[in-house]
Amino acid sequence: MRIRPIAEGDLDELQKIARETGVGFTSLPDNREFLNNKIATTTAAFAQRTPVDRRNYFFVLEDEESGELAGCCAIEGQVGREVPFYHYRLGTLAHSSAQLDLHRTIDTLFLSSDHTGDAEVASLFLRPHYRGKERRHQRNGALLSLMRWLFMAEFRDQFPDKVLAEMRGVFDEHGKSPFWECLGRHFFPMDFAEADRLTGLGQKSFIGELMPRFPIYTPFLSPEARACIGQVHRDTRPALAMLKQEGLRWEGYIDIFDGGPTVEAYIDDVRAVRKSRRCRVEIHDASDTLPPRPRWLAANTVMADFRAAWVSRGPDEEDVLSLSKAEAQRLGVQAGDALRVLDTEEVS
Amino acid sequence: MLVVRPVRPSDLPALERLAGLAIPSLTNLPAHRTRLEERIAQSQQAFAREVECPGDEHYTFVLEDLERNEVVGTASLRALAGAREAYYTYRQETLIHASQQLNVRHEVQTLALSHEVSGTTQLCALALDPRYRGTHAERLLRRARLMFIAQYPERFAKVLAMAFPGSLDEHGASPFWDSVGRHFFVHDYHEINYLAGVRSKSFIAEVMPQFPLYLALLTPQAREAIGREHPAHEAALAEMLDEGFVRSRHVDLFDGGPIIKADRNLLHSFRHAAWHPVRVCPAHALADADPAMIANQRLADFRCVVARYALTRTGQLTLSPEHAELLDVEEGRAVLAAPLALPPCATRGAGYDRGEL
Repeated sequence: MRIRPIAEGDLDELQKIARETGVGFTSLPDNREFLNNKIATTTAAFAQRTPVDRRNYFFVLEDEESGELAGCCAIEGQVGREVPFYHYRLGTLAHSSAQLDLHRTIDTLFLSSDHTGDAEVASLFLRPHYRGKERRHQRNGALLSLMRWLFMAEFRDQFPDKVLAEMRGVFDEHGKSPFWECLGRHFFPMDFAEADRLTGLGQKSFIGELMPRFPIYTPFLSPEARACIGQVHRDTRPALAMLKQEGLRWEGYIDIFDGGPTVEAYIDDVRAVRKSRRCRVEIHDASDTLPPRPRWLAANTVMADFRAAWVSRGPDEEDVLSLSKAEAQRLGVQAGDALRVLDTEEVS
Repeated sequence: MLVVRPVRPSDLPALERLAGLAIPSLTNLPAHRTRLEERIAQSQQAFAREVECPGDEHYTFVLEDLERNEVVGTASLRALAGAREAYYTYRQETLIHASQQLNVRHEVQTLALSHEVSGTTQLCALALDPRYRGTHAERLLRRARLMFIAQYPERFAKVLAMAFPGSLDEHGASPFWDSVGRHFFVHDYHEINYLAGVRSKSFIAEVMPQFPLYLALLTPQAREAIGREHPAHEAALAEMLDEGFVRSRHVDLFDGGPIIKADRNLLHSFRHAAWHPVRVCPAHALADADPAMIANQRLADFRCVVARYALTRTGQLTLSPEHAELLDVEEGRAVLAAPLALPPCATRGAGYDRGEL
């Protein structure tokens, strides 16, 4: 299993993934033209043909044995540059009067574009038959999630100060978002799925046109809707836990549609960015088998031919990493090349 | 015989009684002895003051039934609603949210905190003994204030405003307050209303939400209460619409009750008020005629009564000796008269006043 940039021949496989993701996964709509376009723009990004603030890096997890794509993930170089990027910021307003013996604080949602210009990690999806009990030891989800930090650490000057991740919000047993039903529904003449679909296609201008522009006092929302603020969908909890482990935190920003949290951090503070380091490749003849639960993550240092994968061991004291031939091939490196590695079990 | 006159210190017990009778209780007439005492003193200062333009004068009038020798009603004029502090209301606004992308146009209703009504003269704090409800006495009490303003226009603003108590549910709770103000205060509607009367309403307004509220997020009951008067005040509101007031976009901060306003020069009583010299006639010799409000030309000794609008051929107004004495006018002196009856207003139920659009 290895990570690589998406390529032109991946369209059919990518569409399979798009079909499996479903509602709530806004960034990958099942739309062939859109996906084809995505491949083209992301190829240009990896080739550094587009300016840094317009780059969308889209990665796939490739099963080399079957040739199948097992999953995907992405990094948006800077959000909000081409289309506006909105959040609600949950803030507190004090309503206080000594004479009236009154002191209350009211939670209030403020429409914000504070994250304009930040990087975003997004679109992480692992196909069902690559997760589950018998696959857990492969750590495919962790590979998809963590390799992005290696990429950002390696090409640090191509990224801004901060990074964020939007997490999917709470939906009830009927697949409805209580937050949307209480708030968005009043302002958007469509259902959640349609709003979500348009957003996924990048057609976001309707949001600014139809959104409530004044802050929303949360006591005016239903208890069910308030309970969604900053909460994630059950299925999203593991992904959130992984981001939190890297140091991303919820700072009060939520999705305007489903109320799900946006977590964020300064890129330089992200654990994997801090802990990853460069080493030099050496190649040995023995064949390697990955340990039952791989620990070391490695990525090459060439953007256009970027590769990342689990490797069977870490570098020695001289920062030399000895790879098997298969591993070197998987990562597209030769003896003497540089490699960025991360010990995923190192305690921070 | 009934007369409207400025309040006196000796009217305090009557004011207290009337304040307790008001349904629902009035913010600006709290049943609070010290506040009412202050109100009387303030009124006496207002009537005594030389005024070039409206300020913080607060004129309080009472309705006296001379046969019973009893004060049976009261009503006030605040020369400038926001003279000392801002007079806050919610203004109903409509925002258009249109999307070219989706080809939709969506109207969004909001309530925005406003100070706009601060610059008006406010007719307020009317309370009447229930025995007189629906009689000439009620109309006299309500509209005698217009006769006063007509005589002393420099003391008042050109635009007059009047707030009516909002609708309450069957338990006496305010659905509007429960959906709006209650989020910001622990008090229920009646507590906050009393507190506002004793302290100051704008004081409380300043702790209210400062950003506009989206109607879609209020309870259906609260939305229905917006601009709707308490049933006990329907007739009074209708009368003032007949007088020439119009519903405004403004509603009360606490209960969502309607606020009506008018350019005073467009009011029926202003347009039809006329000066007439007095001719005193024995009561049995007075000709039959429609009732009119008749006011003398005194400031601190202002008096307004209801009498027959009977004119002689030469345009003199005939008054009984009792009414002449009550108004403290001699034969030949002029009084201001305006018909008590109003033609029904065709646009009673119509929307907001034209001037706002």
